[in-house]
Amino acid sequence: MTGKSMKRIFALLVVLLPLCLRAQEVAVGLSGSQAQVGEPVQLMVTVRGARGADVPQTLSVKGLQISLAGRSTQFEMHNFKMSSTLTYTYLVVPQFEGEFTIPSFDVQIEGKTFRTQAMKLLVTGGTRVPQQMPGLPQNTSPVPLPSGQPPASAETGEPFFAELILSKKKVYVGEVVPVELRFYFNSRIGGQVGERPTFGGEGFTVQKFSNAVKREQVVNGTSYVVFSFQSAITAVKSGTLEIPEATLEARLQLPGKTPQGLGDFFNNLPIPQGMFTDNRDVSIKTKPMQIEVVPLPKDGRPEDFSGAVGKFTMEASVSPKKAGAGEPVNLKVLVSGQGNFEGMGAPILTGDEGWRSYPPSDKFQSTDAVGFTGEKTFEFPLIARQDQTRTPGLRFSYFDPSTGKYMVLTQEPLEVNAKAGGAAPVAAGTPAASQADKPAPTPAAVSTPDVTTMAGGSTSWASLFFRREFLIANASMAVAWFAMLLILSIRRFARSRAGRELTRKKLLRDAFAGLREVEPSEFYEKARDYIFLRLNAGGDDLAAASRIDSSSLPPEFKASLHRVIERHGETKYAAGGAPPPSADERQAVILVLKDLEARYEK
Amino acid sequence: MKSSPIVVLLLLLSFHARADMLSDARARFRDGEYEQSAKLYEQELEKSPPSAAVFFELGRALNKTGQEARAALNFRRALILDPRFGPARSALQEANVALGIPPGRKDWRTQVVERIPLDPLALAGTVFFWAGAFAALAAFVPPALRGRRLVLGILSLIIGLSLASVAWLCDPRIELANTALVLTNGGTSVRSSPADQSEKISSLPQGSIVNLLSQRGRWFYGLLPGGTKGWFLTEGIVPLIPPA
Repeated sequence: MTGKSMKRIFALLVVLLPLCLRAQEVAVGLSGSQAQVGEPVQLMVTVRGARGADVPQTLSVKGLQISLAGRSTQFEMHNFKMSSTLTYTYLVVPQFEGEFTIPSFDVQIEGKTFRTQAMKLLVTGGTRVPQQMPGLPQNTSPVPLPSGQPPASAETGEPFFAELILSKKKVYVGEVVPVELRFYFNSRIGGQVGERPTFGGEGFTVQKFSNAVKREQVVNGTSYVVFSFQSAITAVKSGTLEIPEATLEARLQLPGKTPQGLGDFFNNLPIPQGMFTDNRDVSIKTKPMQIEVVPLPKDGRPEDFSGAVGKFTMEASVSPKKAGAGEPVNLKVLVSGQGNFEGMGAPILTGDEGWRSYPPSDKFQSTDAVGFTGEKTFEFPLIARQDQTRTPGLRFSYFDPSTGKYMVLTQEPLEVNAKAGGAAPVAAGTPAASQADKPAPTPAAVSTPDVTTMAGGSTSWASLFFRREFLIANASMAVAWFAMLLILSIRRFARSRAGRELTRKKLLRDAFAGLREVEPSEFYEKARDYIFLRLNAGGDDLAAASRIDSSSLPPEFKASLHRVIERHGETKYAAGGAPPPSADERQAVILVLKDLEARYEK
Repeated sequence: MKSSPIVVLLLLLSFHARADMLSDARARFRDGEYEQSAKLYEQELEKSPPSAAVFFELGRALNKTGQEARAALNFRRALILDPRFGPARSALQEANVALGIPPGRKDWRTQVVERIPLDPLALAGTVFFWAGAFAALAAFVPPALRGRRLVLGILSLIIGLSLASVAWLCDPRIELANTALVLTNGGTSVRSSPADQSEKISSLPQGSIVNLLSQRGRWFYGLLPGGTKGWFLTEGIVPLIPPA
């Protein structure tokens, strides 16, 4: 690093750092306004426009245990303006029921004192949940360390270390236990970490890992970047269970040697990553653990135990409320809570005589990242064998590991109006068809060979609409329709004023053009026809003469036209016939008619 | 010209052979030889145009051999060809009970196809449509516009379009064109992505119906009866309408 480069870095810092300083704000909020005893909630203090703040490590409220869990920083650059947001997260663990007020407290930012607002938290009774990971939103869910103490590895000052956090050391077979894998990296180290840790072993199953949540945490005065992955394990056999190490691969930029004698100087500078560092591939491992797995007790186990282990509630609804003969109604059961949703069976129908039931469909919707909390919906299709006004009841049993006892949830029958009937009626009083008593595959309804004579229908998989004959027939009809449309349009046009005028103009053009090529003996006849056509005089000489006289044409012009009509008479009717017109005479007549055309065009 | 009698003779022989195959299949069914009967029905269907009766009889033979899913497939095919074929509907319901498949709700389309033959409905719609179209056109024949002819034409046009639309919407050969049945023993798993290790989001029991949306390699992407979409293996998924 040359002196010139250092000067550039300092210049950049001098330019950028003041941009970080904007109006300072402090905001405070709780992740929830209600909680149960033992269920942690988060208190977040958000500081904007500052690079640091002094906040209290603990808050004293009787009935609430409040301690600072960590700090995260978020930088944003927008239009070359940098802004920073610091979030200090406290964990608030209620100790007993009641309504609590978290008092306002002071936050010091660069010598200024900001005071937060007081907040209320309502705590209700409930079993103590020793962890809060699944219920918390992602990216803001630092899981409390079991002891509330920093990790032991931090004391050694390692640049990176890992720990596995398990909420319980004694679990039941089939119980889902949330786990969190945390990988700590000294915040002065740069590098890349793997997408997922490797974790697994014999005697337990592992749920898929959540996406990594990254945050900052100060441990024993050292700032660490923490990547945490959440999952859940389920023990499948009793005894001592060895939880092996979990491993995360990473490529780190570990501190290298600084120039001799300048170590302290460089350590106190915001040196860019990569300067004086060695790139190393490392495997960060958690420490193996042991937990005790005990079998589910046999005492008190219901005969219809569903296999569910956890804590659940059950709700049911039916739709439609009215069903005609043979129509199914849908009994929908919602089992929600925390536990082994994958291993649980469906609730049991009670009092379902008079109903035909079918195995339910099921669908699980998780509300956390690891499938520990959520709701499972079972839908029972039911058809009444006899007229019914109430659905069957429901019974769901599970094992509650927090009390060590089996619990039974029941649902009373719901009101419904379903008529008996259907295509496959069953005699009243016979047991319902269910998974356990599927009817044998001997369909009585299909055993009569004569029914085949009832079959008709199509002999093609193609719909009539796609068959060639149908398409050709319709295409022909369409062609005929358009042809008819065309003919009608032409006819209508021909009858219209514009159409008639167009026809007349064409006739005039043809008649005039014919004058030049016609035989001399027929010349005056054609010339007379042209005049008739031009004057709309029909075929009558008298009418034509009258039209000529009544027109506004000049007298000499009128005389020329009369002369053409007279010459036609002479040619046609004179004894011995009039001599045919000479070329000059014809040219003169054509000029007269051309003049007539021009006058009428005007 | 000399070849014409030979062609006619060959056609007659072919028809006779088919009639024999069907008769043989029915005879074997009566004698309780259901597997043989089913094979003959299948051969008959390979060579002849599809027939609701033959599909029904094939389904019945398969049902007797305990192959409920294949039986259900053939009952469904019989119903596609003849939606008013009551015995096939009853047999399908029985097969579904055996498979544990819940009955679907009867929507208006099912109610229509159970009552009205669709091809005649489509033909009637077409006739009304064209009659209306030509009548409306004739209203414009010169010299004057004929109002009554125009109104009747438009009315007939609308009736024809409505009838044809109902026939189109209700025709199972159109509605079920991309639908398939799960034949795999024990059903098939539905996953969130086309990979063996991807998350299982649901399962389709044997005999259930699924609407195929697309295919990628050996995976189908489909719409499940509950409205969920997901990926499942193509093995054992048979289209209701056999590919041409």
